[in-house]
Amino acid sequence: MNKSKLIGILIIASFISITSCKKENEEEEIVFQKSELLSNIGTNLIVPEYEQLLIDITTLEATYILFINSKTNQNLSEVKNSWEIVYKKWYSVNMYEFGPAMNIGLRNAVGIYPSDTTKIIANTNSGMYVLGSAENVDAIGFSAFDFLLYRANSLNFFLNSAIYTQYGLDVIQKIKSEITTTLNAWNGTYLSTFKSSTGTESTSAFSLLVNEFCKTYELAKNAKLGIPIGKQSLGIQRPEYIEARMSAISLDLLYENVFALKRLFNGTTATGAAGIGFDDYLIAIDRSSLSNSINTQFTAILNDIEQLNLTLEEEMASNPQLLDNLYTKMQNLVVSLKTDMSSSFGILITYQDNDGD
Amino acid sequence: MVINRLQNYFNPNRNTSIAPLVIFRILFGTMMFFGISRFIAKGWVTELYIKPEFYFGYLGFEWVKPLPGSWMFLPFILLLIGSLGIILGVFYRWCSVLFFISFTYVELLDKTNYLNHYYFISLIAFLLIFVPANTFFSLDVKWKRVMERTQIPVWNIGIFKFQLACVYIFAGIAKLESDWLIQAQPLKIWLQAHRDMSVFGKLLATEWVAYLFSWFGCVYDLFIVFFLLNNRLRPYAYLLVVIFHFVTWYLLPIGIFPWVMIFSTLIFFSIGFHEKLILRLSSLTRTKVNFTPIISTFSYSSKKWIPVFISMYILIQVLVPFRYILYPGNLFWSEEGFRFSWRVMLMHKEGNATFYVKDRQHGGEIEIENDRYLTLNQIDQMATQPDMILQYAAFLKNKFSDTLLIFGDQKVHLVNPSIHANIFVSLNGRPSQMFLSKKQDLTKIPYNFAPRKWLEPFNK
Repeated sequence: MNKSKLIGILIIASFISITSCKKENEEEEIVFQKSELLSNIGTNLIVPEYEQLLIDITTLEATYILFINSKTNQNLSEVKNSWEIVYKKWYSVNMYEFGPAMNIGLRNAVGIYPSDTTKIIANTNSGMYVLGSAENVDAIGFSAFDFLLYRANSLNFFLNSAIYTQYGLDVIQKIKSEITTTLNAWNGTYLSTFKSSTGTESTSAFSLLVNEFCKTYELAKNAKLGIPIGKQSLGIQRPEYIEARMSAISLDLLYENVFALKRLFNGTTATGAAGIGFDDYLIAIDRSSLSNSINTQFTAILNDIEQLNLTLEEEMASNPQLLDNLYTKMQNLVVSLKTDMSSSFGILITYQDNDGD
Repeated sequence: MVINRLQNYFNPNRNTSIAPLVIFRILFGTMMFFGISRFIAKGWVTELYIKPEFYFGYLGFEWVKPLPGSWMFLPFILLLIGSLGIILGVFYRWCSVLFFISFTYVELLDKTNYLNHYYFISLIAFLLIFVPANTFFSLDVKWKRVMERTQIPVWNIGIFKFQLACVYIFAGIAKLESDWLIQAQPLKIWLQAHRDMSVFGKLLATEWVAYLFSWFGCVYDLFIVFFLLNNRLRPYAYLLVVIFHFVTWYLLPIGIFPWVMIFSTLIFFSIGFHEKLILRLSSLTRTKVNFTPIISTFSYSSKKWIPVFISMYILIQVLVPFRYILYPGNLFWSEEGFRFSWRVMLMHKEGNATFYVKDRQHGGEIEIENDRYLTLNQIDQMATQPDMILQYAAFLKNKFSDTLLIFGDQKVHLVNPSIHANIFVSLNGRPSQMFLSKKQDLTKIPYNFAPRKWLEPFNK
């Protein structure tokens, strides 16, 4: 008995001494908190950006109604402008496909590309369409307007067909309603849920944010660049997969998406105000060199996209090597984000039991 | 000397009370019943055994295939029936065989889902087949299907203690390496992730706590069995078992494993303790039990093959975890001899694997999006485990060989593509390094037990 008692006392005593001597200098150091990161991202990035997106889609709706009332070339280009603005804005929220956005499947409802133009033509001819049906998933959303607004002689189609005009309005209003639903859910209870969901399980808001961040980046790399330039087709280029091929704003959209992801990484708002992001977390766990490397890579990729003077389709025809180099850079960043960053946060990507091997 | 002692141990006249084995049977059956129910309720049967297009079988066991569609629920229903039979001790031999076969069948389907504690359950179920755990306080006795026995050979209980000792001690030995002891990894990563937890969060994010946990965990694993074996220290040791596993359950995603260990280690407790438990249970179920020894004419334990069988089993259990010594290079990197060795919670290994199907004739390549063919879990496991990388490569080769691919208006007939992969892995908090170079043609690498020289070398 005596021996075991002694051992017990020793263990307890050493515990107390360790904890008590550490207590003193503990107060001084501020421990990085994930809740502060989520608070910044939720309050200063996600909600304001959805609000802006709602403003922009409302503007598109207004210019479109103006255009319906007076179908002129001038008004059509107003619609085109508004569409470009809101489409770009979409790419600063498309990485938040969890919680409210996931519940309604926002990305599928507004962000599928390229559009199936045959389906759009069929819909606008018959007028018999259910926009929310599964088969129409690639006939709606922002991408549909690339065809509706930019196809050859597009003004004539609007002038000649009321159904055609109505289809556009229906698509806009559907997008607007989806965004409204998402924003309302954030402004309701989800923002506070989001801020406090800091666990390590794959369903916590923090894990979802990190995983969707990585997934969205990879999706941009594959769908906006890799597939069109032939990365999944033995090098055979596939221009039919280019996003926004007719309006030729593909590279702008790629830029917007990557730029928004970089902002999320750094916790920077749309207006450029600095805040807590993944970079701060990395610095807090002694991985500042990784944080720097990720930022350097982001900057290099954004610079490369800016350097491209032609449209994506033209670059594919004349400078495929430049696009290939850009793709390689984007691919390297995947490793930094998915492998290095995610693993150092210690979050789970799957929900099953695990014993670490 | 050793042989003498062994002979003595297996002496049919050296008997002990059956009580600990009966409690073990009931607890194990109950945990399994809940564990399997939980597995089904979480939708994992569909997720892990119905949805996937491809399964990573074990070398030599690739012939073990899942049942078609919803038939995959069948083995799980059999497991529920088997665990009920084990709890009640009814048609016990049949039920324990049924449980062992169904469980092992499911585990052999896909190594993606390998967990040390599933292996542990398979082994325990296997051992239960050979012990007369149903000869007391069971329906088999009540229904006179078997003779009642209060005394059983010592090894019937000793073998389970041995198995538990293996789990702990090998888990402890596995921790005697520099990442665990000197870097406090992977615990440093796993514990800091709880930084937002109330009260303890800030503590868990501090470095010295990771060291404390690492060192304590190592010492605990190495020595807990010896404390449990000691009559005087046992109550304290068990308190430690409960606290230790409770903490791991709270902080780490390890499912029912902590509970399995908390309940299984009760087998180290005294006969009196187990008899009291049985008396409690018997008053609950209004059955009468009597522990006075019944002289049995059953000569079960005098069979010659038993000592041989047990010795073989013990030898295998002791040698298998050391098989990694036969391989060059870093165990965590190449994972040669990693599974079935009680290396629990030792690694934080994350990887990114990009596969390429190359057209040998025309030179183009197809970059593969892994989620077209694999589940998230499979991608995650495959990216860091060399044998799974080869299996996936073989799957892709099969998929793309002799196929006509249509890209827009161009058609390509892929005859015999080569498969390549560019893989980067981060191990225990290190920056990622190249794991597999794209230069290697994976179709040329045989899948066997030979050292994996095709991997890139590991830099500490």
